Amino acid sequence: MTRRLVALLVGAVFFVPLYLVLANVFKRGDLIAKEPASLPLPPTLANIHAVLTRPDGLFWVSLANSVVVTVSSILVLTVLSAMLGHYLARSRKRWTKVLTLVLLAGLMIPPQVILIPITDVLRVTHLMASLPGLILFNVGYYVPFGVFVFSGFVRGVPVELEEAALLDGAGRMQVFWRVVFPLLRPATASVLIFLGVWIWNDFIDPLIILGPGQGTTITTGIYRSIGQYQADLGSVFALMFLATLPVLIFYLALQKQFVKGLTGGATKG
Amino acid sequence: MATRKPVLPRVGHFASFGAPGVLVYVCFVLAPILISFGYSLTNYNPFHPPVRFVGFDNYQLLFTDEQFLAALEVTTILTLIVVLVPNVLGLGVALLLDRKGWLYNALRSVFFTPVILSSVVVSIVWSRLLDDAGPLNNLLRALGVEHPPGWLSDPDLALYSVASIVCWQMLGFCVVVYLAGLQGVPAELLEAAEIDGAGPLRRFRAVTWPLLAPSLTITTVVLLISAFKTYDYVKVITNGGPGSGATATIAFDVLQTGFDANHVGYASAMAVLMLAIVAVVTTVVLNFLRRREVDL
Repeated sequence: MTRRLVALLVGAVFFVPLYLVLANVFKRGDLIAKEPASLPLPPTLANIHAVLTRPDGLFWVSLANSVVVTVSSILVLTVLSAMLGHYLARSRKRWTKVLTLVLLAGLMIPPQVILIPITDVLRVTHLMASLPGLILFNVGYYVPFGVFVFSGFVRGVPVELEEAALLDGAGRMQVFWRVVFPLLRPATASVLIFLGVWIWNDFIDPLIILGPGQGTTITTGIYRSIGQYQADLGSVFALMFLATLPVLIFYLALQKQFVKGLTGGATKG
Repeated sequence: MATRKPVLPRVGHFASFGAPGVLVYVCFVLAPILISFGYSLTNYNPFHPPVRFVGFDNYQLLFTDEQFLAALEVTTILTLIVVLVPNVLGLGVALLLDRKGWLYNALRSVFFTPVILSSVVVSIVWSRLLDDAGPLNNLLRALGVEHPPGWLSDPDLALYSVASIVCWQMLGFCVVVYLAGLQGVPAELLEAAEIDGAGPLRRFRAVTWPLLAPSLTITTVVLLISAFKTYDYVKVITNGGPGSGATATIAFDVLQTGFDANHVGYASAMAVLMLAIVAVVTTVVLNFLRRREVDL
């Protein structure tokens, strides 16, 4: 019994900031500043309505940008890192071992180290301040993580399966996509979820690569609206809530795979 | 018709399976690192041409630059707090929640939710909460504290407030990893220890804790790397302040120097040094923790 009480108490203290967001999304704008911690009574949808119908369409524009960037990045990342991960896991050559290490080192590179030259690279290729530029950057920056997850899982797939399919006359591409890839579903799920959440929530890279023009994503949109509309806290809270909703739904739908992916890495080290 | 094809990959195989991924990685990660190193040996500033080669002058300058040394100190303190606190509290919460039942399941979700929130959202919520006239200080005033602390406006305090916010967000990650680790502890071992007369503390120290070594490795390395590149929180919560750089991390300084002040050469030297520090510290810590795993 005491264990339950302690757990409940610790959880409640921890929950306070989350409560603050939820309560203020549905509270009248003038009450947010006055009594931020009170219950939203009577609840109102005015804040959400205000964000959805802003004349400059900030929410819809940044939502569209975030969806395009996140979906394209994770699709390309899944294809490229699954194939590269498979290749590296199956290869026995020395140079591929080195390549694996070079890729894994990428897991710890802070984005600040590469952002300055990246803007020059993108400017030269006319991809600066464009969605394709940001997507390409995401793919390059997160490929190590995808390879790390996929190559770990490929080692769990018996090589005999592939040999049998090759003997039956299938091409390597066919064998990979028809036989191996379906067996990697847990890896695919965790790559999609992790990278989906990271790229959706990313702040620094879209801030710098997309620049200050119309090209905001949902997080940079929140950041800019807090500067411009300091007075209208209701809108800021509603925007944060709406920006989080897709990730939350995505996460709740795939929760099991998420935790499995997280801990699969932990146990394999 | 089935002629036997080699099962192990050949170089031709690399062209289709490996090359696309490697190519993007080279273009967007490896090449930029080399370019960064190149810039760091110059006085490159896009608004003040011409570019001149200055050798290692930028690096030499860094070690006498008080702003950079302050950022190094800020980053070190932040990293120590962010590696230690969520690890300790996360283990505690995981031990508390390591039970079956709807309540414990619901609480797991509560602790994990901040992990999937954007750091921008977390930063904005907490800066409201910790504002000088925010709910926390209003509560303290109601309790009779006349001058509640300026959590984010006091230069001596702001760094610790920012660190606490990062810890709050990372706690759920540690909880989930430790919970998974606890599931791997065989009940028979714990029972055997109990029969041998070991109390709860002794059982934890002798059985549970050593078996959690892989969990400790993953949380520590992830926390270490993410603490080192802390930028979002600093940018959104304090913009480096209050005062002159009370919360400015190296990650923050690199981008300020490179993009706002346009000292690209100097910022690149800072970035390269930062990468070197991350690489060395991570490798040392990882090796130490791994050895601990093997020993058991």
